[in-house]
Amino acid sequence: MNIVSELVELLGAHSVSSDPAERYIYSYDMTENKARKPLAVVMPSTTDQVRKIVELANQQKIPLVPFITGQNVGGLTIPEVDNSVIVDLKKMKRIIEVDEEAMYTLVEPGVTFGHLRRHLEINHPNLRYTYPLAPPFTSIMANVLLQGLCDLSTKHGAMGDFINGLEVVLPTGELVRVGSGVSGTKNWFSRYPLPDLVGLFSGWQGMTGIVTKIAVKLWPKPPITRYAALFTFGEIETTELLKELTRTGVLDDADCMSLSLVKMLLGVEYPVDVFDGEPDYATLLAFSGNSEIDVSDKIGTARNIVDKHTERESRHLFVSWDTIEKLVGSQAREWVDFPSDAFKILAEFDGLTWVGTYIHPRNWGAGLLKGREIVARHGFELMAFLKPMDGMHYGEFKFIIRFSKETETMKRVRSCNEALLELALSLGAIPYKTPVWAAEKLHSHIDPEFVKLVRRIKETLDPNNIMNPGRWAL
Amino acid sequence: MGSMTTNESVIDKYLHRCIRCGNCKFVFRDYVPSCPSGEFFGFETYYASGRIRLAQALERGELDWDSSLLAPVFACTVCSNCEEQCLSPHANGIVDIIEELRRKAVNKLGPLPAHQTFANNILRTTNPYAEKPNHQNLREKHGLPKSAENVYFVGCTANYREEAIRDATISLLKKAGVDFTIVDERCCGSPLIRTGQVDQAEALAISNKELFESAGASRILTSCAGCYRTLASEYPAIDGNDDYEVLHISQFLGSLIDSGMLVIEQPPFAEVITYHDPCHLGRHMGIYEEPRQVISSAGVDIIEMESNRHNAWCCGSGGGVKSAFKDMALETARKRVQHAQSVSADILLSACPFCKLNLSDAANGEDIEVLDMVELLDRITN
Repeated sequence: MNIVSELVELLGAHSVSSDPAERYIYSYDMTENKARKPLAVVMPSTTDQVRKIVELANQQKIPLVPFITGQNVGGLTIPEVDNSVIVDLKKMKRIIEVDEEAMYTLVEPGVTFGHLRRHLEINHPNLRYTYPLAPPFTSIMANVLLQGLCDLSTKHGAMGDFINGLEVVLPTGELVRVGSGVSGTKNWFSRYPLPDLVGLFSGWQGMTGIVTKIAVKLWPKPPITRYAALFTFGEIETTELLKELTRTGVLDDADCMSLSLVKMLLGVEYPVDVFDGEPDYATLLAFSGNSEIDVSDKIGTARNIVDKHTERESRHLFVSWDTIEKLVGSQAREWVDFPSDAFKILAEFDGLTWVGTYIHPRNWGAGLLKGREIVARHGFELMAFLKPMDGMHYGEFKFIIRFSKETETMKRVRSCNEALLELALSLGAIPYKTPVWAAEKLHSHIDPEFVKLVRRIKETLDPNNIMNPGRWAL
Repeated sequence: MGSMTTNESVIDKYLHRCIRCGNCKFVFRDYVPSCPSGEFFGFETYYASGRIRLAQALERGELDWDSSLLAPVFACTVCSNCEEQCLSPHANGIVDIIEELRRKAVNKLGPLPAHQTFANNILRTTNPYAEKPNHQNLREKHGLPKSAENVYFVGCTANYREEAIRDATISLLKKAGVDFTIVDERCCGSPLIRTGQVDQAEALAISNKELFESAGASRILTSCAGCYRTLASEYPAIDGNDDYEVLHISQFLGSLIDSGMLVIEQPPFAEVITYHDPCHLGRHMGIYEEPRQVISSAGVDIIEMESNRHNAWCCGSGGGVKSAFKDMALETARKRVQHAQSVSADILLSACPFCKLNLSDAANGEDIEVLDMVELLDRITN
């Protein structure tokens, strides 16, 4: 019996396909990374089914590639080797638990940011999760395990830091838990004080097992939240100002972007040009507190810092969100209400890509300045995003490119991304959601003993190398 | 003579759109499912973004035509909910892309067997159900003239499967003293257009237009949402020369009530009543309020389901799904019946015979009655 027939026997014909249509549709993602067709696609509905799939694959040495809600980047769900089976986990979509006292939720892979938001609003209105600049129906688990960022990252860091624990099917078929959930159900309050085995699965791009449950932190919804907009000039000046603002601790979040992106939100059509004299960056600043006085004080602190910086760059402008709403109408409320809504401006064509990195604060401004030149040289729109991370322990920046997947454009995209990556690596930055080509370059810049250790861990957990083989250039 | 389809390829127009962001899968800010096909089958191929990419891949030569493509291409009710949720530049072209893809599929591989069957039936009997045409009998039974100001276009499903809708509509028009007749109508062509068999549909449209002209009608009324969409939005493309107005019955009844031609006799209902928006009438033709106004003016309070109007969950029967993908059709309708039950509805109303047919199948054995709005109105008017 071949593997497809065996999978059909395990899951039923309706949950397995090796038809040309599915093999094609699961062969690519939105980025410029090269497509490769899987052998088949399977859709388990339960952890037990996942375990059986993994056991079978391990027995027969069949490569498995996890996949969830489909908005994939970096080629991360494109098989690196032939005859892979894609495991589509979207049917596993239960919000299993929300613990109001310890403020966490335990969810399955298919739970999206949008669905958790709805669930909390209806059932737990005093709690909030966080949202990324991603489509609203993006898997929480995928974004968290890939250590992405969100609208609480300025205060709390990358989403990988929000993990309290995991349930994982290991490549050899065992079902394990990590984090405080090891001591029983309804007990996913922390990942400490234990050997921090979350690190065996977070950031591994699905190479060490299939995570079937994830416990992530929630936060109290603050009684008062206010926003402000900051328009700034110059890469160095902007990042210096953001560093000082963030270190005060008054910000919940700072979402800084090229002004082009604001113009896109306001309806300016492709391609959006940069005009002389316009601000380089627009930043959405979020403040929260328990009272209006508390929040006003925080906004005042931020305003004073901006005023101080205007001595060096007089054109910097701090604007209350009330003013923005008066200027652009109700859409301003929608942008801050759910940042995922703003993702629509990136869905212009069939292609979207970026090189995103976490970087030392000292190199942040230089990275932006030189990156901007690279993007301009390649003839793409200027679409930089940057965010102070984890209280300004580090910064994040990326240059997004929206593009039509035509041959010549793809070549230009690849060339631009390679140049951006070389720049980032030269500044000690680490790329996230890393495609294989970028991981290969990364390996040549980092401590080889680290790469060896990663390989040893992978080999130990996955002796038959069935989980996403070839990923991260291993 | 024009054509129901343009020569411009909408697939070509949107050849480099859709990053597969997934917005089409759920109601944008309500986060409830929007796509009956994707919900039923689960594979990415069965969502709008999957079909768009299949169309693009076939056009670009990245994928060859193969009979296994037929299921994802045709297992879609073309309900257009994806278009409501999509925020990308191609949003309004998604159903057109799918229907062009279906025409290409029929050209390359032929229609699905179930679709071929009803196409053959239409050729033989002028209706997809292979029933003997009864229009002469209806004229005689109801004493209708050969020509009149209004033609009641019954539609095949109301005439041969959901006769209560036909009878209630005739009853309402007669109660109100409306000058109308019924012609020897052919299938409007909707089932053929939605399943990629558009050539045959054009011949039907030409015949029907000639019948309307012969009857001297200035207005065509229909109680079928699918017929209404086809007559109102696709027939004019044939020659751009329609000398008549096309109205869905829900657009006409309000004026009969307002003018006192139709008198509400019964006191308000004690039952909880909810209304299901037919996709052909709502999303495709923008008619959401008229049926509600008619129902309300009859003294009936509608309790809305969570997904309604432009976000309404499809009944599951359209686009050739009821005939070719029976399980999907029934499961989709079951969800809609559950939506109605979740607001404690005793009666689930719609304004389309095909919706009624499928919702009734799903409600079989459930403690809920499925009715068309004309049936409800006929019960309470004199």
